[in-house]
Amino acid sequence: MSDVLIGVARPRVDAPDKVTGATRYAADGHVHGLLHARPVLSTEAHARIRGVDKDAALATPGVVAVLLASDLPLATTGTDRTAEPLARAEVVFAGQPVALVVAETEAAAEDGAELVFVDFEPLAAVVDVEAAMEPGAALARMVEETDEEGGDLESIHAGVDHGQADDPQEQLSGNVLDRITRESGDVASAFAASDAVVEGTFRTPWIHQAYIEPQVCTTWLEPSGVLVVSTSTQGSFVTRRELARAFDLPLERIRVIAEPIGGSFGGKLTLVEPLAAGATLALRRPVRLTLTRSEDFQATNPASAQVTQLKIGARKDGTLTAIEGRMIVDRGSNAGWGVEGLTSLLVAGPYRWQAHGIRGYGVQTNRFTFGAYRAPGAPTAAFALESLLDELAQTLELDPIEMRLRNAVVEGDIGVSGNPYPTIGAVEVLERLRDHPLWAERHSLAEDEGIGMAAGHWPGGNEPAAAVCRVDADGTMTVVTSAADMSGVNSGFAVIAAAAFGLSPDKVRIVTADTSSGPYSGASGGSKITYTVGTAVLRAAESAREKVLAAASQELEIAPDDLEVVDGVVSAVGAPDRSITVEELAQKALRFGGRYEPIEGHGGSAQTTGAPSVAAHLSHVRVDRETGEVTLIRHVIAQDVGRALNPALVEGQMRGGVAQGMGWALFEELGHDEDGRLLTGSFLDYAIPTAERVPEIETLIVEVPAPDGPFGAKGIGEAPVVGAPAAIANAVAAAGGTRLYELPMTPPRVWKALRS
Amino acid sequence: MIPAPTRYERATDLDHAFELLAEPDAKAIAGGQSLIPVMKLRIARPSVVVDISRLELRGVEERGGELHIGPLTTWDDLTGVAHPGLEAIAECANGIGDVQVRNLGTVGGSVVHADPASDMPAVLLALGARLHVRSPAGSRELTVAELLLGPFTTSLGPQELVTDVVVPLPAPGSGSAYESVEHPASGFALAGAAALVTPGRETVALTGVSATPFALAAGDPRSAMAEAEIFGDRFASEEYRRELAVVVAERALARARERRGS
Repeated sequence: MSDVLIGVARPRVDAPDKVTGATRYAADGHVHGLLHARPVLSTEAHARIRGVDKDAALATPGVVAVLLASDLPLATTGTDRTAEPLARAEVVFAGQPVALVVAETEAAAEDGAELVFVDFEPLAAVVDVEAAMEPGAALARMVEETDEEGGDLESIHAGVDHGQADDPQEQLSGNVLDRITRESGDVASAFAASDAVVEGTFRTPWIHQAYIEPQVCTTWLEPSGVLVVSTSTQGSFVTRRELARAFDLPLERIRVIAEPIGGSFGGKLTLVEPLAAGATLALRRPVRLTLTRSEDFQATNPASAQVTQLKIGARKDGTLTAIEGRMIVDRGSNAGWGVEGLTSLLVAGPYRWQAHGIRGYGVQTNRFTFGAYRAPGAPTAAFALESLLDELAQTLELDPIEMRLRNAVVEGDIGVSGNPYPTIGAVEVLERLRDHPLWAERHSLAEDEGIGMAAGHWPGGNEPAAAVCRVDADGTMTVVTSAADMSGVNSGFAVIAAAAFGLSPDKVRIVTADTSSGPYSGASGGSKITYTVGTAVLRAAESAREKVLAAASQELEIAPDDLEVVDGVVSAVGAPDRSITVEELAQKALRFGGRYEPIEGHGGSAQTTGAPSVAAHLSHVRVDRETGEVTLIRHVIAQDVGRALNPALVEGQMRGGVAQGMGWALFEELGHDEDGRLLTGSFLDYAIPTAERVPEIETLIVEVPAPDGPFGAKGIGEAPVVGAPAAIANAVAAAGGTRLYELPMTPPRVWKALRS
Repeated sequence: MIPAPTRYERATDLDHAFELLAEPDAKAIAGGQSLIPVMKLRIARPSVVVDISRLELRGVEERGGELHIGPLTTWDDLTGVAHPGLEAIAECANGIGDVQVRNLGTVGGSVVHADPASDMPAVLLALGARLHVRSPAGSRELTVAELLLGPFTTSLGPQELVTDVVVPLPAPGSGSAYESVEHPASGFALAGAAALVTPGRETVALTGVSATPFALAAGDPRSAMAEAEIFGDRFASEEYRRELAVVVAERALARARERRGS
């Protein structure tokens, strides 16, 4: 095994097909007899369904069926989006699918959908998450949640415990679905012994993942009765499991194909599949459901709005003392899980505290269904914490980076979770940022400009995974996994397999198998794929290498231990003239009467240690005092990535994280009217960072190897977004002399803050 | 995102267009940059779409001390207007949409769409433009203020088409400018101001802040704005928009003054 191939910038393996338009997405496949579905969405945020008039829609030429929940062969009684893909008796947010019009053409489906009339009996809409918690508040859902075992979608992102026991004294309404308490040490005494204590209430809105490709799924039945699901998903096995639950089908009767994804960021985990599959099972016809952009804004699962009340203290020398927080997470209609567990953990940051008392609340309201978005619960937590850390540094007249460095965790420190930190690069990342020339420029800027910094981290996730490596008779290798190719993981697999086996990376091809034949993989989420599936690929390639060495040993009459494999050639160590190519050996194995086992390997992993990634940011902004407009001039990110398998891809993830963090900071906000109807249902209303607004982003790769990662690599996709909004907020505070406690920092909000 | 069923007809000349537009709920289409999106949302459901894009109403011509802009002139065409004093036209056209929109979108189509946040009407107001309008009943001439009655509402009859946009050439030593602060998503003006400064007079017109673009009363923008009726919405309050209008008006005036004689 040689790592000379690691750390070299290479093009993505999927790039040529994507650039030339050869990639086939879930909406592109030709399926004979395909029907098209159009959802009918609730116009009410909370209502009972009195009845649905389908007649006019059914009379529309080309319309095949108008399906309601009762028409789908559901085996479930729960209220989560898998169990209840169409509302049964009660709608709990505006945009919830109520009916599905299925037609011979897309146009006919749309014609029919506007002629479905739903008779709603409006109920009180719960739209204020804080008021929703008060005892006696109207409930966001009248139908009781059943005890049915729901999906386990939370564990995809990061394993999080649920803290300690609830406070029995606290009176809360039935909208509060979950309470997390994390306590240790004497918080009051620690604050009393502090030289400075700062606090604030921070608000962040609902944010959409804003992937380019809307949610899309195509389903059909094979003559054998197998349900085939061709879909844009982050997880084929989780989708299969969810569909089996919804329709009570054996796992082997469902085949899920994870097609190339046109963007996802956490949002594509079983929303449209139960709708399309339900229609296919009901009608026995192939069905495609492609959400329009507007439907996708209304009907899917964006990131939660959150209110974070936070208080922190420090001694004169900058040593942090205590952190106290109350974090309210708006789950919308998601009764299954929320980010209160994650955000209440991550709000402590990668820092040591003497005492902590943090509470998290998951509250149901009549807005959307909460879902995951790149580092769920982390940017909101970092916005609050890192803003206050800057306040603290200012109060104590300390350098903000030096203060953070004084408190940065190292391996073995006990975190808020109660567990010791594994290897973590917080110190290394902060030092790298401190030494950057931009940081030194912060005191000599033009008026109305400012530089801010912030850090953020992501704990990383784990899930057992397997992979297969197969060498063909032409000497090339095919790596088979079931991991959806997000954020370039396939390109990482290619380098891992090549390096572990001894082959040039351009001889390695990655296949994403479907659930009928692929090795097991968890969903692509939680920054876990490179760390877990990558390790399985490494072991599969090593296993294949053992096969090739065994064959070569016989051919060359040299013991396997005395052989090495370099660039597709097996040769004696120290005697390169005694050699044979992998291609020759494969040809000897893969033929009638051959004497060697095929050169194939299977590898698995069950990682148990975490591999957190820390990223820190420097942000340089200009504030227009007259209009409130904020311009991001320059941004620097330093991230501990363990080991950069392919620096080009790692830097791409870092830049993308910063860009999305810029969206949190300056642009993105899903807004509703007072009745809970979405006002920002298109990109004419919902602003995202565009190419012309995203400045130069300088990337600093810091490598603190993860002991259990392949070649020291770890998951790096989520950490870069976490601290970016806070860094921009700190830069705005430095430029304007006033701090904003609400995101996004839109021109009207900045203008107002500057005037007050 | 598929329009409701409709028919398509292409007009070969103006009289043919009038004939086709006689049908109830007929709608003329030129570049389609305003109409197609609202058709796809099924907000507009014309019985027939009358394509006037082949009519010979495109181009910019200086004649008799005036600039004649054909209503089918695209934004991209307008980026080439370089007459001293009329800098605001190209400047404004350059800032509209993206390359695709500027290649297809027309000045006439945009003005009669009457979006309250549309940029060019403010420029045309400040420059004192007039619109020639024709129908089977005859022709008439309108100011931009007379055309725009309210959001997405004009004084045009169902068969009336704009045939010419006439901009008087300002006296030597004039300068103009367009300045706006855009909504971060739509790119439409939260407040936009066009200013024309001539040797004897300063004119400012605003868009994005009221039901229709309007010319500001003479004098200091801040005192003039104090009286104006301004709307607010979820994103930008009335108070903020009023202040923004003053800021863009002052910035446009300052740049128009700088351009005088340059």
